[in-house]
Amino acid sequence: MTPIRSLFSSGAVLIAIVYLVLFAIYAIAQPSALSAFSIQALLNNSLPLMLAAAGQTFVVLQGGFDLSVAGVISLANVVVAVYPMEGPGGALVNLLMVCAIGLAVGATNGLLVAYLRIQSIAATLGTMIVCQGIALLILKAPGGHVADWMSYELTDSLFRVFPVTALIAIVVCLLWLVFRRMNVGIALYAVGRDETSAALSGIDVRRVRFTGFCIAGVLYGAAAYMLAAQTATGNPTAGEPFLLLTFAAVALGGTSFSGGSGGVIGSVIGAATLMLMQKVLFSTGISSFYTGVFQGIVMVLAVLFAAAVLHLSQRGRASA
Amino acid sequence: MTARPEPEVATLPPVDDRERPRIASSTITTVIIFVLTAALIVGSRAISPAFGSWSQLETILYLSTFLVIVSFGQGLVILVRGLDLSIASVITLGGVLTTGWLNGSNEYAWALLPAVLLICAFVGALSGVGVTFLKIPPFIMTLATGIIVYSLSLGFTAGTPRGYAPPVLVDFMHARWLGVPAPILFLLVFVVAAVLVQSWSVLGRRLYAVGNNPAAAYVAGLRTRGLTISAYAVSAACAGLTGMMLAGYSDGATLRMGDDYLLPSVAAVVIGGSSILGGHGSFIGTVGGAILLTTLGTILAALGIEEGWKTIIEGGVILTALILLREQFYEALRVQFGKGRTE
Repeated sequence: MTPIRSLFSSGAVLIAIVYLVLFAIYAIAQPSALSAFSIQALLNNSLPLMLAAAGQTFVVLQGGFDLSVAGVISLANVVVAVYPMEGPGGALVNLLMVCAIGLAVGATNGLLVAYLRIQSIAATLGTMIVCQGIALLILKAPGGHVADWMSYELTDSLFRVFPVTALIAIVVCLLWLVFRRMNVGIALYAVGRDETSAALSGIDVRRVRFTGFCIAGVLYGAAAYMLAAQTATGNPTAGEPFLLLTFAAVALGGTSFSGGSGGVIGSVIGAATLMLMQKVLFSTGISSFYTGVFQGIVMVLAVLFAAAVLHLSQRGRASA
Repeated sequence: MTARPEPEVATLPPVDDRERPRIASSTITTVIIFVLTAALIVGSRAISPAFGSWSQLETILYLSTFLVIVSFGQGLVILVRGLDLSIASVITLGGVLTTGWLNGSNEYAWALLPAVLLICAFVGALSGVGVTFLKIPPFIMTLATGIIVYSLSLGFTAGTPRGYAPPVLVDFMHARWLGVPAPILFLLVFVVAAVLVQSWSVLGRRLYAVGNNPAAAYVAGLRTRGLTISAYAVSAACAGLTGMMLAGYSDGATLRMGDDYLLPSVAAVVIGGSSILGGHGSFIGTVGGAILLTTLGTILAALGIEEGWKTIIEGGVILTALILLREQFYEALRVQFGKGRTE
């Protein structure tokens, strides 16, 4: 396959084009969308979903589903709001706390799915419910207070030009590019494509799956952290909307739900597209009651789109 | 990545376990669940004398009616290797349409109530079409139909459902026949009919065949797509019926009335010993799972435990059931401590 062709059959590039088109529509409908403030607000809104979708990708790539994303985000969000720590040092401690929570839940999922061989939907359903329960124990109703340093600095711009949130998204994408070239990254794709072949080629399937769930958990924790920084408050049900949206973002980004193809960058742009779409729908004045109809339809279309892209790229590979 | 010196391949001879062990293990699971439920009810007497009484049992059975009906549909969808996440929204749809269209009168109830069920079944069939013909993962498809249906219910009611259930429905939900609440008798009839359909009818056996091996079922001449779609349609119709009954029970509908049934319906099926991968499991086990969950919920509610603890215990029960009642657990033990074979 020629490089150009491989570029266009990649879900990430296609969704990036969709994003640009959508953004153009938005900018035409609402010229103020191009102001630095507006762009930064959009990025700030999108980052939690971007991180959560990036995490979900690590599980979808291995052919699984991770429902615990909703539980981890609720739990980590509440923890940050109930134990706020001031200053940059405090923010770091808070970040370590949410990552530890995500890692613990991810490791539990990994243990259940990879080692006890429980279907990922069922196992993560259980861990999600437990996490939601713990979140409710820590904070019964929305409230709490997020450290000022976090809510100001992390939603601000570096040198008044470059939004911090964009920097974080770029760093995640760069880390992903490194990861997918590492042995474990390649193994993750192999396991998603064909578990038996991967095992026969000497890949420790269980460890690869386990690692995938752990990374996913840490990213959910980071998503909750950024959500807290943005909303400056805690909510024990903060994670629930993410359940639907992360899957939609992953699907939009061109990652196949049967596993083994796709990637984090597509999911990140997919997440950004979903958030942009909400803005566009809002600006067109469609009754907010019916936005769900569009979200549902877009999700189905996204999966069909991703399947078609995969089909075309495979046909291209076969003929090359 | 550590390279393994020996590739993991099946070294044990294939054992023909198509008949005996599966039936045995599912029967054992079912018995364990019912014994556990009975023990829970009797044991709860220790907490308060009000527990463990006949009237408490009646309450539990009454409340479990809703979950049992929803779980039957969920079980059929899981049987054909799917998952129905649209249940919560379809329950809401059933309730909202019932109260919205009939609004406290019996007029045309004979036509409108079946119409509500048909609409719900149609929604389910749409999910089924997406899953079979468009090859969208069931998880995504039903999530999408769920959010679409919810959004339509939101628009239909303009955010606040108004209206009342028809008196015929309210009366039925509060009637006592032969000294027993009518819904419990209905539950009995429903369970018997559902067992007959799932385990003894041609349709049921075909659904098992599709769930066990869709390719083989197709080769054997079964219309796998049609069968799969019918499972989704039945599931949505069951959800709609539950919404209707809930509307009659509380004489009104709310937009979040279905939320409490989605995850428990999956849990009931899984606890009942059905494989979440599809292909096997019995409805009686699911009924046991649903009653067990309802019993647990009733006791926890009566104890006045915090919402958080209730949720944690619910999740814990699901996880424990998953670990203990699955054949995979024994398989995993064998993998861990045995010869290291994977499949």
